[in-house]
Parts: sequence; C-alpha cells; structure tokens
Amino acid sequence: MKNQNKNTEVWVGVEHLEQDPIFLESINREFNDTPALLQADGLKLGASRRDFLKYLGFSVGAATIASCDIPVKKALPYVVKPDEIVPGVATYYASSYVKGGDYCAVLVKTREGRPIKIEGNAMSSLTQGGTSARVQAAVLSLYDTNRYQSPMKNDGGKWSKMSWEDLDKEIGGKLAAGSVKVITNTILSPTAKKALGEFLAKYPGSSVVTYDAVSSSAQLQANENCFGKKAIPNYMFDKASMIVSFGADFLGTWISPVEYARQYAVTRRIEEASKASMSRHIQVESSMTLTGSNADHRVLVRPSEMGAAVATLYNAIASKTGEATVSAPKVNEKAAAALAKVADQLIANKGKSLVVCGTNNIGEQTLVNGINNMLDSWGNTMTFANASLQRQGVDSEIQGLIREMNAGSVGSVIVWGANPAFDLPNSDKFAEAFAKVKTKVSFNGTPDETTALCDYIAPTHHWLESWGDAEPKEGIYSLIQPTIAPIFKTRQAEESLLRWAGSQNINPSAEQPYYEYLNANWQSTMFTSQNSFATFEAFWDNALHDGIFEKPVAAFPEFGWNGDVNAAAAKVTKPGSGEIEISFFETVNVGAGQYADNPWLQEMPDPITRCVWGNYLQIPIEFDGNKSFDGVGKFAGLNNKEGYKEADQIEITVAGKKQLVTCVRQFGQKKDTVGLALGYGRKVSGAAGRNIGVNVYPWMSIDADGNTQYFATVDTVSGYIATTEYASVQYHHTMGVTGKAKGYEGEVNVDEIALMRVGKGFQGSLVERSVINRTNLNELPTFLKELEEKRAEFEHLNQQTLYPYDQFVAEKYSQGHHWGMHIDLNSCTGCGACQVACLAENNVPVVGKFEVYRHHEMTWLRIDRYFFGDYENPNVVYQPMMCQHCDNAPCENVCPVSATNHSSEGLNQMAYNRCIGTRYCANNCPYKVRRFNWMDYTTADLFPVNEHGPEPFVPYDGEVPFYADNLTRMVLNPDVTVRVRGVMEKCSFCVQRIQEGKLTAKKEGRALRDGDVKSACMTACPTGAIVFGDTNNEESEIAKRYKNELNYIVLEEINVRPSVQYTTRVTNRDEALLS
Amino acid sequence: MIYKRLNYSILVLVFTFSLSSLFAQDPAAIDAGKTLFKNNCASCHNKNMKDKMTGPALADVQARWGDDKALYDWIRNSQAMIAKGHPRAVEIWNEYKPVVMTSFPSLSDDDINNILAYINCTAAGNCPGVDGGKKIVDLQQPEAKSDNTLLYATLLVILVLLAVILARIISNLNHIAAVREFGADAPPRKTLADTLTSKGMVSFLIFAVILIGGYFTVRNAINLGRQQGYQPTQPIKFSHATHAGVHKIDCNYCHDGARRSKHSVIPAANTCLNCHKAIKVGSQYGTAELTKIYASIGFDPKGDTLIKNYDKKTDKEIEAIYKSWISDSYTKEKGTFDAEGEALVNSQWDGIVAALTDKESGDTKIQGPIEWVRIHNLPDHVYFNHAQHVSVGKVACQSCHGKVEQMEEVKQYSPLSMGWCINCHRETPVKFADNKYYDNYYELYHEQMKNLERSNVTVEDIGGTECQKCHY
Repeated sequence: MKNQNKNTEVWVGVEHLEQDPIFLESINREFNDTPALLQADGLKLGASRRDFLKYLGFSVGAATIASCDIPVKKALPYVVKPDEIVPGVATYYASSYVKGGDYCAVLVKTREGRPIKIEGNAMSSLTQGGTSARVQAAVLSLYDTNRYQSPMKNDGGKWSKMSWEDLDKEIGGKLAAGSVKVITNTILSPTAKKALGEFLAKYPGSSVVTYDAVSSSAQLQANENCFGKKAIPNYMFDKASMIVSFGADFLGTWISPVEYARQYAVTRRIEEASKASMSRHIQVESSMTLTGSNADHRVLVRPSEMGAAVATLYNAIASKTGEATVSAPKVNEKAAAALAKVADQLIANKGKSLVVCGTNNIGEQTLVNGINNMLDSWGNTMTFANASLQRQGVDSEIQGLIREMNAGSVGSVIVWGANPAFDLPNSDKFAEAFAKVKTKVSFNGTPDETTALCDYIAPTHHWLESWGDAEPKEGIYSLIQPTIAPIFKTRQAEESLLRWAGSQNINPSAEQPYYEYLNANWQSTMFTSQNSFATFEAFWDNALHDGIFEKPVAAFPEFGWNGDVNAAAAKVTKPGSGEIEISFFETVNVGAGQYADNPWLQEMPDPITRCVWGNYLQIPIEFDGNKSFDGVGKFAGLNNKEGYKEADQIEITVAGKKQLVTCVRQFGQKKDTVGLALGYGRKVSGAAGRNIGVNVYPWMSIDADGNTQYFATVDTVSGYIATTEYASVQYHHTMGVTGKAKGYEGEVNVDEIALMRVGKGFQGSLVERSVINRTNLNELPTFLKELEEKRAEFEHLNQQTLYPYDQFVAEKYSQGHHWGMHIDLNSCTGCGACQVACLAENNVPVVGKFEVYRHHEMTWLRIDRYFFGDYENPNVVYQPMMCQHCDNAPCENVCPVSATNHSSEGLNQMAYNRCIGTRYCANNCPYKVRRFNWMDYTTADLFPVNEHGPEPFVPYDGEVPFYADNLTRMVLNPDVTVRVRGVMEKCSFCVQRIQEGKLTAKKEGRALRDGDVKSACMTACPTGAIVFGDTNNEESEIAKRYKNELNYIVLEEINVRPSVQYTTRVTNRDEALLS
Repeated sequence: MIYKRLNYSILVLVFTFSLSSLFAQDPAAIDAGKTLFKNNCASCHNKNMKDKMTGPALADVQARWGDDKALYDWIRNSQAMIAKGHPRAVEIWNEYKPVVMTSFPSLSDDDINNILAYINCTAAGNCPGVDGGKKIVDLQQPEAKSDNTLLYATLLVILVLLAVILARIISNLNHIAAVREFGADAPPRKTLADTLTSKGMVSFLIFAVILIGGYFTVRNAINLGRQQGYQPTQPIKFSHATHAGVHKIDCNYCHDGARRSKHSVIPAANTCLNCHKAIKVGSQYGTAELTKIYASIGFDPKGDTLIKNYDKKTDKEIEAIYKSWISDSYTKEKGTFDAEGEALVNSQWDGIVAALTDKESGDTKIQGPIEWVRIHNLPDHVYFNHAQHVSVGKVACQSCHGKVEQMEEVKQYSPLSMGWCINCHRETPVKFADNKYYDNYYELYHEQMKNLERSNVTVEDIGGTECQKCHY
C-alpha cells in the first residue's frame, strides 16, 4: 500500500518522515537551533577578551555602587480595610465569561483587589469547571493598554476625550433624530435585552441587528423551519456512541466547545482496559480542524462538496430505513463509499448516534435535521429542552441594515461588541453605507475597524469590571460580578442605553445604577420562578456566591418534524468546478478576530498548524509511495525547508482579490484544497493584533439566503518567495525522535552509538524511543500484552544500576508527599487551555514572533503533536509535555552550581537566583522542557519591537514594551518570581499552589485532602485529562489513575523515573469502514 | 602579658565609671522607677513630666503635695483621699473630674520612691540610669569577650622579626662562606632590600594581597543589600514601646495578617481608630502624631465622627478642620492660645502633610494611607509566609523582630540573610505533636520518636531547607 509506514510509526513532520539528515542533526541540539544570537544581524556581539574584562570591571563596579544605597521603599496600608480582603491571600469570586456567544462559568482569583487568574466554576452544569484558552487569556485583556480610557469624540478624523456628562448631552439630542439601530453579536444577557427593549421603545422605528462573525444563522433558520424553534439544540455528546460531524469543530470553536469537549471525553476515556468501550467519531472536512484531528476517521471532501456529502449520507440512511431519498449532487467516490458504510453504523446505533453540521447552508442543516430524525437522535442525544442560545445572529439582518443605511432611512447606529467593518464578507460595502449614517456610536472598549468609523466612543467596562447576567441555555442563568473597580473612565453599555432611554427604572445618581437594575430584574423574574428560597436576599446571595442559577431541567419537549427535505436538497451547495478550493475557519486562538489583540492567544501555537502570530495557508502533502513528500499540484516544491525554519509565500487570488500568504504544509489537508484561518489581518486593533496575518473576510461570499459562506474557489496561485517568516513550533523541542527503527545505518545520536557498541541489553534500544504509545480499540488485548512486556523489559534494563531505585524511594520518598501527574491522552483534545493557564499562573513571558521563530518560546507546558497512520489522511495524537520531575533527573547531575535539584516531595526544583545560565541542564534534558531566558523578556528587551515579522531588533522607539508597562504587570501572579535574562526555567508543578494547599491544611490542623492542590493546567482542562496529586496518598484520584493498565512513561527506558504518566492513546478505527 | 594588663585597665576604668554614677544617683532605683512608671503611670501622665495629659504633669509633684505620706496614700487610693477631703486631693479632683486616677494599692513605699526618683531626674533632665546605664553596658562589652587578636598580632610581629633576624644570619653566614671560598670574587652580600624585591617575594606579596583582598571583597559583597539595624524615620512617631510594651497590646491585634497571610500587614488607619477614637492626645507627642491618623481617614476628633465625603474635601478644608482641633487642644492645655501655639499648630500641620504625601511618587493628596517606610525588605525571589511561622510554627514574633515591645522606633533586628533563615530551619523543631497535619505523613519519624531514636523533628527534616520552600 502506498501510504504505509516506512521509517517510523509516528512522525512530527515531513523532514522526520524523509529522514532528512540536516533535520536529524538539528534535533539533537540543545534547542535544536543554531546559536541564536549569531543570527541577529543587528546585534554586534563580537566581544574581545579586553571587552569582556571591561564589562566585568564595569558591572562589578556598577553593582557595588548600586548596592551601597538602600532604596527607601514605602508600604501603604489600607485606610479602611475591606473585611473580605486579607493582603496576601487570594479571594475568589464567581462570575461568567461572556464574549458575544462564547460563554464559560468562571471563578476569578483576585489578590489585593485585582484579578490575576481565571478558573472554571465546577458548579455549572454546562461547563463543569472546564475552561478554554480564550477564557484563560481573558484576564490579560483587562489590563490591555490599548483600552479606551474615557468617552471620545471624532472631530473630522481627530479624536478628543470628553466627559460622560458632555457625551450624554450631545448624544441625547442626536439619537432623537430618526430611528436607531443597535448592531450586536449574540447577546446572552436577559437583563441587557430588557435594557435594550427599554431603549428601543424610546426611539420609534429602532431595532437590534444581531449577527455573528462565525455564524449559525442557517442552522437557526433550518430549526425554525423544521421544528418551529429558532435555537441551537442541546447536544449530548456523552450519550452518543456514533458521532458524525460535517465540518463542525465542536471540540475547538463550534458554539460551546468547553461543554462539548467534556461530554465527548466521557465517551472516549478508558478507565479500565478490560471494560473498554468508546464512541466512534467520523469527521467530514477538507482542512484538518481540532475536532478532525481527534476523530477516528476523517472523510475528506472539498468544501463545496459538503452539501453533497450530507445529502449522500441522508440518502444512504433513507434507502436503508425505507424512507424516501432526495435528489442531490454527488460527492466524490471515496467519500461516497465511506459514507455508505458510516450510514450502516449509524443505523446500527440508532438512538445512540449524533450527526452535527457546521456549514451555514439552510438546505444542509435541514437534511442533517432529517438524518437525526431518522436516527431517533431527538430526545436521545439532542433535545430542545435547555436549548442553547449561544448563537442567535441571523446573517441576513445585517445585510438588510446595509441596504437601509444606503437608503438613508437610518438615523443613528450604535455598535455594541460587534465589528462589522472587519468581519463581514462585504465589510467594504458596510463601511460605505455606514458612512452615510449621521450619528454613529461605539460601545466597544478597545480599538477596532468599526469603532474607528464612529463619531463617538462610549467605552463599556471590561467584563471583569461589570455587573451582568447570561442565559447560555434556556433555564440556565449565570451572573457576572465585578472583581475590580473600573480602571478607566468607562461606563457599562447597558447603563448608557438606559440613561439615553431616560428610563425610570434606573437611578442615575446611584453608585452602581446598573447593579440596581440587574438586581431588580432578577427579583422580578428569576426569583419568582423558583421556590427554594423564601426571600430575595437569600436567593440573590446564593446566586452570586454560586455564580449560577439553574432551573430544574424540563421534560424533553415534543417538537413535530415539519422539515421539507426535498426543498432542502435543492438548496444544498453544488460541488464547485474550480481547480483549487479554499476553506476559512476559526482557530481556538483568535476566533473570528475578536481575540486577535491578546498576546497570550497570539503566542499560543494553533493546535493544527502549530504556528504562532499569524495565519498560514494550509497546503496539502502528497506521498509518492517511496520516499518523497511534497506539496500537490500547484503547491509542489513549496515549503520544503520547514524543518529549518523556512517557508514560502505565495500570492493567491480569490474573488478577484489578491493577497500574499505564507504557507504551511499540512498533513490531512485534502488534495486540491487549501485552508486559511479567520480573524487575522486586523488593521485597527490593539498592538498585538494589528497587521498580523491575512484578512480572509473579503474572500468570503453570501449565499441566496443571505448567509455567509466560509469557503471559496481560488482563482489563481502565482509565484512564490522564500521567506523566513515562519514561527512554527512543530519542529522545536523534539525529543530525539531520531533514528530509524530497523538497523542502525541511519543518523543517530553520538551517545547512542556509543551505547549501542556496548552491546544490546543495556540501553541499545534507545533508537526506538517510547514517546508515543497508541493502539486501536480492537487491538487492545494484544497491545496490553506488548505494553506489559515492553515495560517489563524497560524495568529490567533500569535495574542494571548501582543505585537501585526502590531503595532510593524507600529512603527518600516513602513518607511525606510525592507529587505526580497523570495525563490521559484519550481525553486530551489538544485545545491549549492548559498552556495559557500555565502562562497566567506562572508569569511566563510573551516573546513575540521573531523569538518563537528562533526557538525561544518560553512556554513551560507545550502540546506536542504526532501523526500516525495514513500519510495523506493521518490520525493525530496530542501530548502535553512539561517537566516530568524525574526522580533520577539528568538535569540535576550536570548543574555545576546545583541550581536545579530534587526535593523530598519529588519535585525537580529550580532556584533561579542560583542559576548561572550554563544551560547544561537543558542540554541533558531528554524531554526538552527547559526554557532559557535568552533575553529579558519581561521588561526591556522585546515586544513590541519584535512582534512584526522576523526583522531582528527594530530600534527601540520609546514605546513601553509589553510586560514592562505597569498596567500590564498587574496581571502578574505575586507568588511567582519574574525571571530575568540568563536563567533557566521550567514547569514547577505549580509549587506555589502546593505550598498554599499544604499551609491551609496545616493552619486548619488536618491532613491534606485530595484536591486541595491542583495545578493550573489541571484546573483549566475542559475534559479532565490532567490529574495532579499526591501519589503517596492511596485514596487520591492520581493513585487511582496510576493503576490504569494503559499507562506508560515517556522514555521509560532511560531510567530517569519521571513523576508523570500518560495513558496510551486509543482510537476506535474500523479499517473496513474506509477501505 | 600586655593584653592582660590592658584588660585590667579596662576593668579599672569600668569600675571608676560605675562608682562615679553611683555617687551621683542610684541608677538601679531610677531604672526600676522607669519600669514602674511605664507600666503604671505612662498611659495617663506625660513622660516628659512637664505637660499635662489625662493626668497632671508630674514634675515637682512632691513639692506640690508637700507631704510624702499623703502623696503615697493618694497614689494607692485617690478616691479615699478625696472623700477624706485632703485639700490637694480635692484641688486635683476639681480640675480633672470626672477622670479618676487609677488606684495602685500594690505599690510599696520603695516602689513609689523609685518612681519619684525617676520623675525627679526626668524633670531635671539628669537621669544617669537611662543614658549612663547604657554606657556601662557598652563598656563592659570588652571584658565579656576574651579577644586574642592582640596576642596574635604580637606573635606575628615577633615571628616576622625572628624571620628577618634569621634571614640576616643566614645571609651573613652565606656571605662569610662565599668570601672564604672565593675571596674578593665573592658575590656582593644580599641586602634586606634585595630579599624584599626578589621575584619570589614580590609574587608572594601579590598573591597575598589578592587572596586577602578577595576574601574581604567577597565577605563584604555577601553583605551588600542587607539591612540589619536599618531604622528609618517613620512618618508617624509610633512607639511600639508604648503600645506593645506598656499597654501590652498583642502584636496580632494590629498586624492581623500574620496569623493568616504571607504578609503581617501594616494595620489600616481604622484599626488605629478603634482605640484612638477615645485617646485623642498622645502621651508623648500630644496632638502631633495622632492627628495624622485622623487626617488620613477623615475622623473629626471634635465631633467624634467620620467626616462625610472626606475624599472630596479640598486641602484647605482639611487644613481648617485639623488646625482648629490642634489649636483647641493647645488652648485647653495652656489656657490661652498664644504665638507659641500658632507656631505649634503650623509645625504640626506641616508634619501631617509630610506624613500623608509623597513627592517622589507624586502623591499630593492628604487623604489616604499613611506612607510608612518599609523596614523589612526581602528580595523579590524570596517567598516568606508569616502564617506558616506564626500560626503553624508558633514562632514568637520577637525571635525574628527582636524585642519590639522595647523599641521606640522599630529597626531591623535580624540580618534576614539566607544563612540566618536556614540556620533557624536546621535548629527549630517542628510542632510535630500539636498539629494533626503531621499525623498523616512521616510514618518513619513517628516510629523513630516512639522508639526514642529521635527526640524531635526539625524543619530541615521535613524539607525545610530545600530550595523551593522559599524560592519559586
């Protein structure tokens, strides 16, 4: 077979598969990179010995003089100390993260009255304590220096600050002249909707125009047609044993990913190998999405074939269940054959299957409803009880508004949260029409394309400064409470609306007018709908404490099926005839563009392309059956040097508009299709998002129903330029996945050759390093036996030492705590929430694009991605990798100053102030998890100077660098040291949390309970894949997880005795399905 | 020997000093009187003995009473004296009522004599027991230490002399031998200068200088940034000696973070108000210092209320409020308001402004916190948690902060160096039996303690000297 494995079973990239000698050599280096500083042309580091002595003398002198003077430090106490604040002790408040339709129930950790970290709220039935990368990064946006600091007025292109009083006076008069349109994204807040209602009532002819940049418009319309209910169903992935998704990235970005990921993980986790059962997940798509990368099978279709694929599945099921088929376009043969088999399995799992569809076509959504109807999914795996309200926008509304604005019938427009001048397919037309409106007001708190076109800015609070509520699903309510006093002179949008409406229901002179309004609304609505609490005060206090209020689940309502599948079939997208098609999708990082100005998200590698600071054109790879891997067709020869940090830029034309994009070769990308992420290429935004990547919105189109279509045909592909603008972490920190499995003729590490010469029996098997263990569900019994044998052999090897480990453990770790971690690779979806949580908790700096390009990213926790299976349509396994806290740690032995050493609790400790920066430890770390501060990333050296492209060191222009700014620094965790240049750092197992948990137990005079200490990554994980705890405690969750037969230790054979265990990745593939 | 003779002379010197002080006054009695005064009288009577406070100024108290016996009785039970109708007692009562002087029946005649001795010498400004006492202690220091430096220095000089003499002898003998052998052709005799400028000698000297210089450089470099003994002037002359010493207020009452947080916490101004709502004039500084607290929080001492919308008041309005309070207090004390009062009001107001604003940080607002100077500064990379030590370790505050209850102005008592921390962790036993936390871990230690193989478990034994206990 053409796509069979030759060299290695799992691979990280093409260079690895091709056994490229330069690549193999480079990955054996410490940071698999050339000495970094030598590359920077702008830097002159040619210091002679004389210079060295000069610097030495100068710095000793300077240090001495600097130390002589004792700086006077002031200590300011409170004047009146609030009861709930004890300086030095964190206080948690329940709140809700809401951005458009994105929702998460959260706890906000505050220190001395400033929020520093966001955790999940386990009381919410919706998210159950899970979070996403976006939620974790939200706290940084509170301290964004780009936020508007007061109301502003646009005087012919010049912005001037003004007071709220003046603004209210000016706006009051202007709004009265004609109808008012309020443009928003989905609004989840019932109280905000009430306020909006009061506002609209005051100005006749006014209305709210709701749209979502990444829209579920067609699904809402289809559901209204089929069931008379304009809402997203309540999906229950945990009840499904057969999941088919047509392009819906439900683990990454689609509607409610935190909720869905948790449900999905329930069906994928294997706690006992003997009782293993798993759902099967089939993803139909062209570009690999996060969800697709987790699927068992991917059925590859061109973006325009999605409708045909849905119809094919519909017909296959209909014909087998005796329903009428519909006439529809044909999908490609390979997909058709696969879908026919999928149909059989779906029917076999009737009532336990779930089909979801992410396209924005009413016909396709109706057919999917029809499929679910035939499969009895309604009431079993999906229902309209507690229907989701997280997408409410209908695309045609905003298009209607453009027409109205052009006709001159709109008096004024208020923009609230939305950014239509950027994220509409016809944003240029919107801007044109928008200019014709007399009064344009923006509530947005940070700069964006639409706000730049407005006359007034009435900036709203950040959500961490606001009061509010949310109803993400019907009957499930959630409160937002402020955790800090407003930093700037901003005012909550709802309050502005109510003031401008002249509402009798708020008291403008109150200290917090909107709080009173919200409170009153809850008293009259939520309070009256429950009977657990007799008084409103008790109810309110409880709701505020919990952060949520959930009505009992209603019985599953009956909805009559009223769908017209024949009409729907006529509406589905016809397969295009263009040579190359392009699909546009949301990434977990920057979404539709609303998160683009958050540096943490920009620097979190996209799970799919593994690139940072930009969107890259994903081009397909073809395997010639022998040795060569190359781009297909017009992309042949592109990006052949990814392994050594080089990419190509090409010009592509879509819809007559030409743009220059950088490519990345993407395994799993369908032939003759490419993919490019949304949300990049912002022109007006905070510094971090400006001019990063390519804006793809102008390339998108609108279908006959007015719905935005997220794919297009590529007209031309022309010329390419080699570029070094390629900040991908896929080839960084590879764990010596060096050698060939068979024979030793290839490139291997020097030390390994030496070891092999010693003879087999010692560590001669090093070349077959056990980094990833994976198997398929049906091969589980054989695999378990193999794994057992393999681990027994490793153990035997590891016993050949003068210092037996067991003795060591008995002496050192038998009493007290021994901290350990367990990561379930079956639950891990690679979403990256843990990675951002780690940044937030541990003050890990953002380094910028150029620094990532040259392998200097500082993340303590990385998520490695490995491919396996078919080269052209591989499966993926994600492996979160952080310091393994080896009990026999190689890094410790080589430190000349003992800056890294071992604690009696099993922690591999790093004492920054003892570190002299030899980097021997990083060199000796088999897991490549140590990070060196090449620059002073937290203050002077970098960012914003390095954020655009890889030009080395643009001269410092006087702007305060990111993280050196006092506002930004408020996000720092005061319990964790901020590291300086020249020291090594790495995961500490959140030692500050360990110490805090132990201290709490000691203060209360009790044993440490399991769950008292949770690492930041563990609390962030939406699926519960990461468990942290005391392995000496027999009762703990970690001790239970350690007993899983599928567990393995990465690089167990080298006898470093890590404290982290992984569960084997198990897929549920049925090879017959796609043969 | 020389050093012994020196020590003798010091002893003689000390003795002479002690005698001379004894002849002047009895420092022991005054010292005892001072302690008694602090513990019993200082809360109502001004320490300077010249100004009125809650009670009258005590200078010349014996002269005013005339009769020591009556004074003793008055101190032991003032109400009885008033009831008896003693003229001086009635006079005081009329002036100070309804304030009642606390009775001290337990004070003996000697105690009262001691107090009076202290009052008299303080009023006269010639208390030797207070300052002189210190000198005595200082002078006794050399005696306590048997320092051998002098002995070693002398030995060194003698040895060097010996070496030089021997070198000369050898050189002479060599020269004689050479003359005998070669006659006039003998090489010239090596002089001392030749020896000292020889290559070997020069290299040895350079080596020695580098070694010794390096040693001292490193030794001093280690101490850079350490601030033991640091005693900055604080914006308020807050006396720990009065609060923690005389009035025995528990440290944790004001520093309420110490029990539960990493920070011990400088008390908020409203904590001060808990007591100083009632005690409005200080025993030492009158209105000068306490008004700073009032101006910080916005307390009106005349109306006994918190000023409404204090945050929005202008500096002028604040100035008017507190200047009027200070001048009223002055008038109440002196009977009239004169130029001296005017000057006092102005100088006290300037003090208030200085304490509540900070030019360097650009804080020009009077309202808001008192700008204390931080004394104990740990480097940023050190994590220290008060609760761990106070609540769990049950370490007394004084073991690190010194006898704060005796400090008028607080200073840094300990070096706060890592060696100092580590040493304590090595020596201090953990409260192993008292805390149920430890019951669940450390089976080995429990076993050993049961078998009497181990008497205690130190902080080090449970990992208290590992890097990441304090550095993360």
